[in-house]
Amino acid sequence: MNLAKLEPIAMQKENVESLSNTASLSSALLERKNQAPGRPDYIKVSNFSFNYVPAVRVLHNITMDIPEKQVTAFIGPSGCGKTTLLRNFNRMNDLIDGVSQEGKIYVNDQDIYDRDLEVISLRKRIGMVFQKSNPFPKSIYENVVYSLRVSGQKNKEVLDEVAEKSLRSAALWDETKDRLQDSALGLSGGQMQRLCIARAIANRPEILLMDEPCSALDPIATAKIEELISELKQSFTVVIVTHNMQQATRVSDRAAYFYLGKLIEMDDTTQLFSNPSQKETEDYISGRFG
Amino acid sequence: MNMKTGPEDTALDDPKRFTASRQVLAVDWFMTVFIRLGGVGVIVTVVGIFFFILSQVVPLFQGANVDEVSRGEAPSLPQGNYIGLATDEWSELPLVVREDGRVYFIDLRGQRGVVEKAPEWLQGGKVSAIEIDHGAQVIAMGTDGGKIHLIRFEYEPEFVDEVRTVKESLSEEYQGMVEAGKPVKLIAMGQSERVRVIGTVSGEGGSQSLEVKILKRKRSLMGVGKWKEVEQGDLSGELPAADKIQKILVSNRGDALIVVADSGRVSYFFRGDEGFKIRQHFAPFEDMPGRKIITTGFLLGDVSLVFVADDGSNRVFSLFRSEADPVRKFYHTKTLKSLGAAADYYASSSRNKAFLLGAGKHASLRFSTSEEIRWSEDLPWKVQLGAISGKYDALLFLDDAGRLHKYQLDDPHPEAGLKAFFGKVWYEGAPEPKYEWQSTGGSDDFEPKFSLVPLIFGSVKGTCYAMLFAVPIALFGALYTSEFLHPRHKIFIKPVMEIMASLPSVVLGFMAALWLAPLIEDKVPSLLLVMIFVPAGAFALGWLWGSRPMYIRKWIPQGLEFLYFMPVLIALGWLGWILGPHLEQVIFTVTDPQTGKSVGDFSQWWPKVTGTSFQQRNSMVVGFMMGFTVIPIVFTIAEDALSNVPAALRSGSLAMGASRWQTAWRIVLPTASAGIFSALMVGLGRAVGETMIVVMATGNTPIMEWNIFSGMRTLSANIAVELPEAPHHSTLYRTLFLGAFVLFLLTFLVNTIAELLRQHLRERYKTV
Ligand SMILES: Nc1ncnc2c1ncn2[C@@H]1O[C@H](COP(=O)(O)OP(=O)(O)OP(=O)(O)O)[C@@H](O)[C@H]1O
Ligand SMILES: [Mg+2]
Repeated sequence: MNLAKLEPIAMQKENVESLSNTASLSSALLERKNQAPGRPDYIKVSNFSFNYVPAVRVLHNITMDIPEKQVTAFIGPSGCGKTTLLRNFNRMNDLIDGVSQEGKIYVNDQDIYDRDLEVISLRKRIGMVFQKSNPFPKSIYENVVYSLRVSGQKNKEVLDEVAEKSLRSAALWDETKDRLQDSALGLSGGQMQRLCIARAIANRPEILLMDEPCSALDPIATAKIEELISELKQSFTVVIVTHNMQQATRVSDRAAYFYLGKLIEMDDTTQLFSNPSQKETEDYISGRFG
Repeated sequence: MNMKTGPEDTALDDPKRFTASRQVLAVDWFMTVFIRLGGVGVIVTVVGIFFFILSQVVPLFQGANVDEVSRGEAPSLPQGNYIGLATDEWSELPLVVREDGRVYFIDLRGQRGVVEKAPEWLQGGKVSAIEIDHGAQVIAMGTDGGKIHLIRFEYEPEFVDEVRTVKESLSEEYQGMVEAGKPVKLIAMGQSERVRVIGTVSGEGGSQSLEVKILKRKRSLMGVGKWKEVEQGDLSGELPAADKIQKILVSNRGDALIVVADSGRVSYFFRGDEGFKIRQHFAPFEDMPGRKIITTGFLLGDVSLVFVADDGSNRVFSLFRSEADPVRKFYHTKTLKSLGAAADYYASSSRNKAFLLGAGKHASLRFSTSEEIRWSEDLPWKVQLGAISGKYDALLFLDDAGRLHKYQLDDPHPEAGLKAFFGKVWYEGAPEPKYEWQSTGGSDDFEPKFSLVPLIFGSVKGTCYAMLFAVPIALFGALYTSEFLHPRHKIFIKPVMEIMASLPSVVLGFMAALWLAPLIEDKVPSLLLVMIFVPAGAFALGWLWGSRPMYIRKWIPQGLEFLYFMPVLIALGWLGWILGPHLEQVIFTVTDPQTGKSVGDFSQWWPKVTGTSFQQRNSMVVGFMMGFTVIPIVFTIAEDALSNVPAALRSGSLAMGASRWQTAWRIVLPTASAGIFSALMVGLGRAVGETMIVVMATGNTPIMEWNIFSGMRTLSANIAVELPEAPHHSTLYRTLFLGAFVLFLLTFLVNTIAELLRQHLRERYKTV
């Protein structure tokens, strides 16, 4: 998989553009490919706290900057709030009744909890791969092109093209090219996960949130996904949650370590893994945790 | 494997921990058996009900069962030529008439043998024409001496120690002469309460004369008087003299005289105020050149004529007013299977439309309405005369050796059959075959009509209108509740729906009939407007609101929009209600015949424009009220199905940038389709089986039209309405069971198809 393979999608620029509700942002999306790394505080979290139920705080005063066009890894023990934070970036936690939050999150200087913000266009800019794969009970093809369909794309050629590119990127094309119209639920667990990745990148979002995308994958598929992530960061901002330290070191530029809902440390990945400034971080990455 | 780490662990290292305890196994075994028994019990019960209903229904489709009653040697009659056979109600003491006018009563119970009654009135003459009228209990005889005798036979049951014996008696009621004293060739008689009409044909060949005599009797305080001849006339002039008359018949009301000529031509005289006048000539076997009519007879009710041609062809003609001709005439209505040979005798039943035909040894019991042969057999002897008993429970045959044979007839449901229930049937008096249900009628010769088709149609119609009203409301309601409504408000919906579901349908039916039907009778235009305004308003508001930018939309919290829009919708509904009468004045106008002015009146406009009726208790009322019972069921099940769609799918879709509506429409609805389908089917089942509302809120008229402003009669309502009237094991009773059976099959069929579709949907949209 190399960049040349992604070119055709880039050439579909007008199409992709027309799909997005926020034309100003998406038009920039593909042009930035070979530019210098973007701003360091593309996603800005400031003093953010989060409760699922009143009085039980899950995230405590998180403040962090996630740089544009880089891969940021969230690591930390189970239950420490990685998923919770990730889901706040595209306001998926709105769906849960009774949640409350304090502090602010900005995406490209836009306060995402601003009441004037149209949450649908925010979500269109942010792709998400969930921790548990959740393919729709539709065909493989329809799963992949879902985001284009809801944006009103009807051109069959565009859809076909996007479906193929996305599946190729997610290392699923070879296995599914002959059964695109079969139900997605007939796929294996790992295939489903890759399908969800293909689905998330289909309309080329600006930010890709990946919650343990490789937890159900074998080493070969994992390698492909990691390769994909490295490619994606050329144009997208990627946030990945992982329990796999090697993976974090392989793919990410920056890493953040969470513990019990607190951000313990955030640094360049090499720095964090080779020379953590906090004792907890060191214990965790060296496997002495718990 | 020594796991012991120390003596203190021995309590935990209980060796029994690897064995299933006996109690666990016992409970497990018991539950397995119990559940299995329960399951088998349910299946057995359902199958049992099925077979019970089936057992009630099967006799409807069975033919007649005919067996000779063996009483040893049949009492044989003295030698002679027997020309008439009649029987009493119990067929215990039938009588036969010999050519010399002697009447023999035959005691079939074997106590008195053959009783001869030698009449003093017939002095040496020979009976040359005879007709026996079972209804009037009169034997009409014409002699070769030109005399006419009407002899009444009576049976008097006597009960001695609860044992019935029948006493017979004969008496002469009238004596007359034909015009010129010529030998009487044919005689026919018909009588109503006051009038008795005798038709005779006398004389030979070219000089045959057709005469009618009209007798009347007076009723006084002393009782009925004697029959007196009041009129007589000669109708010979009305017919071509050369055409030999072969048979005459007079209808029981005395208003019709049928003359069958050798040429195959039948003439129908009608008696009006000016006596008998020719009304119709027709040839029953016109299309079969060379066929002669051999046998002609009336069926019960005397509005249908049975004809048998010399080759055995068998047709029935009935009297009705056709669309083209306002005068009642005979038209060909039925064709039965050919008898194979010319019929020797004909006898009709006085219970139903059955008749008995025979040629030589062959006897055939037929039912006109269904055109079916109920029973046929080659008897061991040649039959001279046959008769059907008054109760339609015995057949009598007099063989050519002068022996009388009694056959037990077991045919409880001759009018039933697949064709009667599901086909178009040409009933007497109707201008065309049709599907008709009418179980009881005023007169004795009323023929019940048992077509289930209008009832099935009614069930389908009622269900359709109810579903049409209920399904959109229930489904969209469920979709809104599960996908858009704020969870805080959801908790109010369920109890409201439960209250709605728990309303007894009697109460709803009562309300529909006494409150809703009169209320909306003159408010149809208003309702029409409300039904347009409210949904259209809802769509328009939704679209308007959805296309507002976020800085406006943020003022109403998501999921609470309905609270703000409700007043608008109510106002729109109110507006529609108010504007209705104005719309009526403009569009639904009819001209008042009295004043000539144009007035707005929907209930008159509708019949005028569509040609269908407008009834107060109509399908719309039923649709509303039945919809009211269906809504909570469909809503609850559909809402459950929608809510059970995994949240992960919903968030997956929303995370892709789909709107809530797109998520609901593209992901949630298809995923829940199996459950929604079940909801619809359960609702359908409820609507099909619903009884009380339909019974009360419609006129229960078994009509077949889709008109929303007329009523219907459903299978279930039919059972409820007719059951109190249905005598045990009667045809009606069994037909009601058949209705239940059809309902059973209908729901079974619908459920099976639904289940297959549901499985398919579930397979297609199963979630991980
Ligand atoms: N919907 C919810 N309602 C209430 N509490 C929740 C909900 N989801 C998560 N939590 C709680 O919030 C905390 C953080 O959960 P979260 O899913 O963010 O952990 P995580 O870091 O992603 O863990 P893992 O690595 O196991 O996925 C946990 O204690 C969890 O129990
Ligand atoms: Mg998680």
